[in-house]
Amino acid sequence: MPPQTLRVLYSAFRMAMLHWFADPQWVIPNVIAPFVFTFVALTLFKEASGSFGLYAVLGGGMMGMWGNTLYASGFAIDFERWQGTLEEVVAAPSNLLHVISGRSVSNALFGLTNMVAILLIAALAFRIPLGIANPILFALSIVLTLLSVSALGLIFASSFVLTRSAQVLTNGLEFPIYVISGSMFPIALLPFWVHPAAYILGPTWGIDAIRLATSPQYASQSFWAGTDVNVAIALNLAMTLLITLAYVAIAAFLFKKVETKSRREGTLVQA
Amino acid sequence: MLELNSQNKPESSSKAIVAEHLCKVFNVTKGFLRRTRTRIIAVKDVSFEVDYGELFGLVGPNGAGKTTTIKMLTTMLIPTSGNATVLGYNVQKDITRVREKIGIVLGGERGLYTRVSAIDNLRYFADLYGVPPTIRDKRVKELLQFMGLWERARDRVETYSKGMKQRLHLARGLINDPQLIFLDEPTIGLDPEIAKDTRSMIRDLVRKGKTILLTTHYMFEADELCKRIAVIRGGEIVALDTPSGLKKYVMDTSVVEIEGFGITDKEVAKFREIPEVLAVSADLSENKQVLKIQTPKGSEIISEVQEILKNSRIYDLKTKEPTLEDAYLRLVEGSIK
Repeated sequence: MPPQTLRVLYSAFRMAMLHWFADPQWVIPNVIAPFVFTFVALTLFKEASGSFGLYAVLGGGMMGMWGNTLYASGFAIDFERWQGTLEEVVAAPSNLLHVISGRSVSNALFGLTNMVAILLIAALAFRIPLGIANPILFALSIVLTLLSVSALGLIFASSFVLTRSAQVLTNGLEFPIYVISGSMFPIALLPFWVHPAAYILGPTWGIDAIRLATSPQYASQSFWAGTDVNVAIALNLAMTLLITLAYVAIAAFLFKKVETKSRREGTLVQA
Repeated sequence: MLELNSQNKPESSSKAIVAEHLCKVFNVTKGFLRRTRTRIIAVKDVSFEVDYGELFGLVGPNGAGKTTTIKMLTTMLIPTSGNATVLGYNVQKDITRVREKIGIVLGGERGLYTRVSAIDNLRYFADLYGVPPTIRDKRVKELLQFMGLWERARDRVETYSKGMKQRLHLARGLINDPQLIFLDEPTIGLDPEIAKDTRSMIRDLVRKGKTILLTTHYMFEADELCKRIAVIRGGEIVALDTPSGLKKYVMDTSVVEIEGFGITDKEVAKFREIPEVLAVSADLSENKQVLKIQTPKGSEIISEVQEILKNSRIYDLKTKEPTLEDAYLRLVEGSIK
């Protein structure tokens, strides 16, 4: 990656971080909501056997990460509009996709703090056994899932260049993607016709890798049941990476298209 | 001392800006079941050239097409037809090159990250403009010192006054040491003293060799700053000349200026109906209202003025030589063809 692209990514990442810290009230709904969700799930099913606790904990974390990224990636464009900086940012010679990518990774990283908080609450308050079987693969799975979620957020962000009504799209898709990706329960429980949608979501494979790295007992419910756990994790990570790269390619194409369209129709500011 | 590039060397063109027959048409669609499409011509056949080191003014009333023209020249909008080159680069083909070389300052209080400091704002835009890391922080400091903001550089921008924000806008527009700067109504909404400071900074930039395209609807500002002025009305350039050249448009007239109270829009409309009246401008918003009437009849029209304003209070009534603002008024009202 060219050094200038890395600088733009870092600078956008840093600017998003500065805004998060400057305005902490943003964090509250994104931290509290998944925490409450996990709390309720664990309280309702604390007597349930099997890996429900694991699903609830990791599901709550994923919810925080996805919710943050989807909301904030889309909001990144609207945020610039509200500040009146969208034109200034677009007028700069840097690629808008790189600017929003930096912000998107920053937002997903903030979402990750939810997962850490939820893991701690689950372990300390609910005494859910969360011994991570393979910490290195767990960390790698988290990073790739984070990037995959960010890349998916980028695709949605492109729609915000055209119209601020895209908020409806992100609001409407937050929960379906959360459910389809198998964050809370195995996708095997979902109707068969939903499965293809699950397979084209990078986070679906990332979550499978996270669960396998956390608990080998989960192997029987994995996509790769019957395969060696480490091989299954590697396969999941490869799928996550592949789909993430496809998302980035789609986002790059969409950003170019929508930017040209907005420059032709003059919708950059008033959309 | 601010060390911006003072040598404005032409890249591949002898003109900093060449606009040829620029047009911009917007199609506005309304309704859901019954969709109606309206065609709005924002800019119509605009052509002009700007020399290197020139401060060129584009003036006109709100909605005349000034900002649309600037946006086409800065690659923010794609022209419907026509061509333009900026510093020798085509605005439709060499988008990145154009963006690297120019600075844009849009007026108003928005356009800055108010929750972070001035330093963070400038560093961010320096990175987006690819300012080398080795000179970035030095330039940020120099710009903030030049704008008189260094003492407050680490404070959040939301704590700045309007004037400080405007100076920060200017600093942001200079972060890439541009050869050409587009200033879109840089003094709009500023109080007179701050506007004066801003104009002084604009003059300093020209002295440093920068080329500037300035839009404004304040004629005195254009008169004070610009070497040449294009007057735009309804998306078309209706006059392009030096300030003294534009004043010649109204050499055959006098201006009757009335200061009064209680003057109504209806009375102003009556003046416009008089055949010898070429243009009327009225500022009726303040307690002390000012009405300016352009006419070749000069003081001969005073009795008619007194008759129309018989129900209003007149504090002062005088006949004056026309100014550039009067020429502008006649041009935008359409009485000069």
